[in-house]
Amino acid sequence: MNEHEISATKRLSRRKRYKQLMYGLLLGGILALWTGMYLDRFLVGVLLYWGGFFGMIAVWQLSSVTLYDERDTAIERKASDYTLGVFAFVFVLGVPGGIALEAGGILELPAAFDGAMWTLFAIYVVFAVVYTVLRRRS
Amino acid sequence: MRNDVRDRRAETGESQADLAAAVGVTRQSINAIERGRYDPSLDLAFALADHFDCRIEDLFDPDAEAADEE
Repeated sequence: MNEHEISATKRLSRRKRYKQLMYGLLLGGILALWTGMYLDRFLVGVLLYWGGFFGMIAVWQLSSVTLYDERDTAIERKASDYTLGVFAFVFVLGVPGGIALEAGGILELPAAFDGAMWTLFAIYVVFAVVYTVLRRRS
Repeated sequence: MRNDVRDRRAETGESQADLAAAVGVTRQSINAIERGRYDPSLDLAFALADHFDCRIEDLFDPDAEAADEE
């Protein structure tokens, strides 16, 4: 039975159920991972986490109703754009600001600051590579 | 961008959910289009025009403001 043959009410309830199932699988996987770490059964936790993640993907791809569409994609794209923009400011201002504060003896930055800035740097390098590839292909 | 999706849907007696299923999007997207909060892609605009058996320019008016923006 395809999506057009399902009544509107059933379609909405199915969409809600499938989305609940998707998020439930992911949440279950995360809880399993934490539980596995807590009980020192890390491998089992990771396997259950992966199972939850791939289960979520399977429900998303195999469901009989449209769960996400072009508007959802557009919203995600805009959210990603804003997020990258905010962290660009954090990175651009944070690195020299942090260095200046530390060099001036005003503040001693924790090692986590370096880690965060290198992580942001890596994200923007990946972004630049992906952007360049997509631009050349378009 | 103003559009006649709501009026045309009313003429056919379809619900937003019915139209959404017919063109392959979610009900929320149809609602957002009708309220002028989301401009559909070219693919979706063609699908809507095809569904209502009209031309895209009969359905969408880029020169007019959307109902919610007035």
